[in-house]
Amino acid sequence: MKKRYTLFFCLLFLGARASAQGNGPGIRGARAAALGYTSTTLHDVWAVGNNAAGLGQLTRPEVGFYAENRFLLPSFNTAALAVALPLGEVVENRPKNGVVGFEAQRFGGKLYAEQRLGAAYGYRGGQVSVGARLDVLQVSIEGLGSCRAMALSLGGQAEIVPKKLVFGAYLYNLNQARLARYQDERVPTVLRAGLGYQPTEKVLLTVETEKDVDHDADFRAGLEYQVLEVLQVRAGFAALSEQTTGGVGFRAGQLRIDYAAAWQTALGLSQYLSLHLPLTKPAQP
Amino acid sequence: MSQRVRGCFRVTFWLGFVWLLCWVRPTQAQQFPRPTPDLDRLVQELFADQQSDDVPYEDLYETLLLYYQTPLNLNLANREELRGLLLLSEVQISQLLEHRQQVGPLLSLYELQSIDGFDLRTIYRVAPFVTVTDAGPNAARGPLWQRVLHEDNNALFLRYERVLQPRRGYTAADTTSMGRLTSRYLGSPDKLLLRYRVSHTKDFSVGFTAEKDAGEPLAWQPSQRRYGADFMSAHVVVQERGRLKTLALGDYQLQFGQGLLLSSGLQVGKGGETITTIRRSSLGVRPYSSVLESTFFRGAAATVAVSSTVRATAFASYKHVDANHQQSLDSLDGFTEYSSGVLVSGLHRTATELANRKSLGEAIGGGNLTYTSRSGHLAVGLTAVGTHYNRALLRRAELYNAYEFRGQNNLAAGVHYSYVLRNLLLFGETARSSSGGVGTVNGLLASLAPNVDAAVLYRSYARDFHTFYGNALGENSRNINERGLYLGLKVRPAAGWEISAYYDQFWFPWLRYRVGAPSHGHDWLLRLAYTPTKTSLLYAQLRTRLKDYNANNPRPLPLPEPTLRHSLLLFYDTNPTSMFSLRTRVQGTRYREGEGPRRTGYVLAQDVSYTFGRYLRLSGRYALFDTDDYDTRQYVFEQDVLYAFSVPALYGQGTRTYLLAEVRCNRHLTLWLRYADTHYRNQTTIGSGLDLIEGNRRSEVKAQARYRF
Repeated sequence: MKKRYTLFFCLLFLGARASAQGNGPGIRGARAAALGYTSTTLHDVWAVGNNAAGLGQLTRPEVGFYAENRFLLPSFNTAALAVALPLGEVVENRPKNGVVGFEAQRFGGKLYAEQRLGAAYGYRGGQVSVGARLDVLQVSIEGLGSCRAMALSLGGQAEIVPKKLVFGAYLYNLNQARLARYQDERVPTVLRAGLGYQPTEKVLLTVETEKDVDHDADFRAGLEYQVLEVLQVRAGFAALSEQTTGGVGFRAGQLRIDYAAAWQTALGLSQYLSLHLPLTKPAQP
Repeated sequence: MSQRVRGCFRVTFWLGFVWLLCWVRPTQAQQFPRPTPDLDRLVQELFADQQSDDVPYEDLYETLLLYYQTPLNLNLANREELRGLLLLSEVQISQLLEHRQQVGPLLSLYELQSIDGFDLRTIYRVAPFVTVTDAGPNAARGPLWQRVLHEDNNALFLRYERVLQPRRGYTAADTTSMGRLTSRYLGSPDKLLLRYRVSHTKDFSVGFTAEKDAGEPLAWQPSQRRYGADFMSAHVVVQERGRLKTLALGDYQLQFGQGLLLSSGLQVGKGGETITTIRRSSLGVRPYSSVLESTFFRGAAATVAVSSTVRATAFASYKHVDANHQQSLDSLDGFTEYSSGVLVSGLHRTATELANRKSLGEAIGGGNLTYTSRSGHLAVGLTAVGTHYNRALLRRAELYNAYEFRGQNNLAAGVHYSYVLRNLLLFGETARSSSGGVGTVNGLLASLAPNVDAAVLYRSYARDFHTFYGNALGENSRNINERGLYLGLKVRPAAGWEISAYYDQFWFPWLRYRVGAPSHGHDWLLRLAYTPTKTSLLYAQLRTRLKDYNANNPRPLPLPEPTLRHSLLLFYDTNPTSMFSLRTRVQGTRYREGEGPRRTGYVLAQDVSYTFGRYLRLSGRYALFDTDDYDTRQYVFEQDVLYAFSVPALYGQGTRTYLLAEVRCNRHLTLWLRYADTHYRNQTTIGSGLDLIEGNRRSEVKAQARYRF
């Protein structure tokens, strides 16, 4: 019984404070989680879910696996698998015809679950990248059945100062997809905009604001520091949900492993783990 | 050869020898003329904008600034002392020490420019507080009494202050309905301060202070420990006498580790300087010459170098502190009489305040043992502090006091550490008090790049952790019942630009005053500073604080609700010429309790300073304020006579003006005169209680003389 109450409270909390799930865009990858959930300016394989524009900078096919658990509750698990494939030959550090990405994700447990399949495309042209993504969402609640919806998202990234300052924006679900006629339940429409600043090659600072139509604006910030060639440490916070985050990233050969933890005063610990791996050897210059 | 010629020769020889001696004396390098410290600006840059009345800020800032009164010798200062300046980053300190090791002592301040990591802004900021002299031993400058007599860094201050309007506390007493006389202030409305101090860094400090607050009577009653002025303090401190590193007699302060057990009034806390102020410096035994009547020790303290890397400090203090005196009605308490707490205001104006004055004997003893590695990179230490009160302390029987200290004795012991690892500085302190409560504070400062600094600090003070002289970083004014995580950042993205920010999350596991449940909150600050030229500074600062307080509605049970305060500060300071300076300040606050109405407070202040030749400097301010209520009151820093501070709380509507004159009569004597006036609109009385003024004006005059022998 107590567990039920906790779950109910958490769902309420999640619905009201952290638009992480509840069909929202969420974040992908433990790197973004460790950076206080700032994700719009990043450009790794997880851009497939964070901001499709970031895909445009991938020069090799990559595959990634991501798992998260919120507040140590088994019903709050998320798992995702992503693939990114550059199209055409690589010229000046960018694929000529852009990059296409696919993602499958599942959140929840037996009582309540969300699945999504996404296809994304990102293209980089000079200092500006653009991207788009199409999601097919499915929500299933035990005893109530399930429903589906399609959501379209757009993203962009621009280098304001080359290699130093990047601006990113991401609009999730611009078509305001409807999940159910009952009470006109819709998939949240979320707009994110952020800046990424690299004062030196070893340091990355990110700030981001997120506005969900139905909720207050969130402010987030993160810091990444490359301690060693193979080790990165990260820290950040998200103001609206009052979470402090931290994490590490390792590189083992071609494999990258990221871990993050987030702390919320009332609800406790959340943990994130992701791995990603290029599928081909780096091109020999 | 005749006697005469020989005598001539001898004289010539000796003259020549003396001349040669003079000539081979180390030539005095060209000295950078030490600029007068712009304390006002330093305060702006270092301190937080305070938002409460329960801390005597004005005295606190003075305490902190007296630390800067004795300039630090860059050729002798160790790592910890350099950190204590709060103006240098760890990397800069390391570079300076390395430079000293490789090139030898600095010959002049100009040399700082040649050290990696020292930009002009840093040099201008530290210049008023440091000196560069040849690092000869003290003894070479003659015996101690002569060094004291000939020291240039000495000053006698005499300060006078008074509110011009009559206040209720100074009128004749009325008779209450019960037939008793109402309470009144027993002394005159004048505030007086006399202070003398002579000091030389790493050598000695001698000083005394006498102070009488407004309303305090001057009285000679040795039986009640009253010897003229209400507050008297004196100290003699000698340093660097061979193995004896410091010996302090009289009033002194102690600061070790992160100040969890011993931190005497030298703290800045969360503010616009988001990195260096997070860490406390182990400054050890320091002379006390301030007027905070509760944050010092009285007795003796000594630091001895056991070996070149180990230093031991022992101290003993006995003084009387203010506390009320109550008889216990409950035999279960185990004591017949008790005090409900130590009073720290230091005001003794009415019969009640005088009855509580120095009524509780407090004996403190303890020590510290610190090992510092030769490079200064590693420091580990132990601190123990035992406190004994001659009457039990027992706070009011409220639920939020359930875990507060009760009884007569407290022994707290802890370990502290500090370690430099490449570009990281790790530090912390953990202590346990007699109650079994544990407090710990740990942090790191990291220079991630030449232009990026970051800080992290975690603290956890148990609800039953008791420290009386500790003041490590925290949201509460005392280190009890708090856990928190602080993240700080400072970035200099381009020349002249600086972005500082912090985000601090805190939670209080137990109830607090006005908060009837465990609660939490956060606090963040963002400051953007731009120095287009070396003579102008522009910054914008945004701060938000969210904390829980009991709602004001009449409920049977208190219900904490989130209280949100946004503060904005815009500050512009420019010196179009070296004689003329302009300062503009805009401050605003938005305050909201739960779902209640939004309330705002606003201040716009314009300052002008002009220097007339060498002898006179005039400064003035005209400020307009408009706040909805007392909760949105505005604290605005004001320029004041040297080492004094005024940070009045402005609320209601009206204007605030002041005029300050600094007159340099001659080499020895400088005078300051200040007249300040607050003119309220739509009010017929100001203040309340004994400070009530009939009318809509409140004016203060202040005068100070400094004489240098």
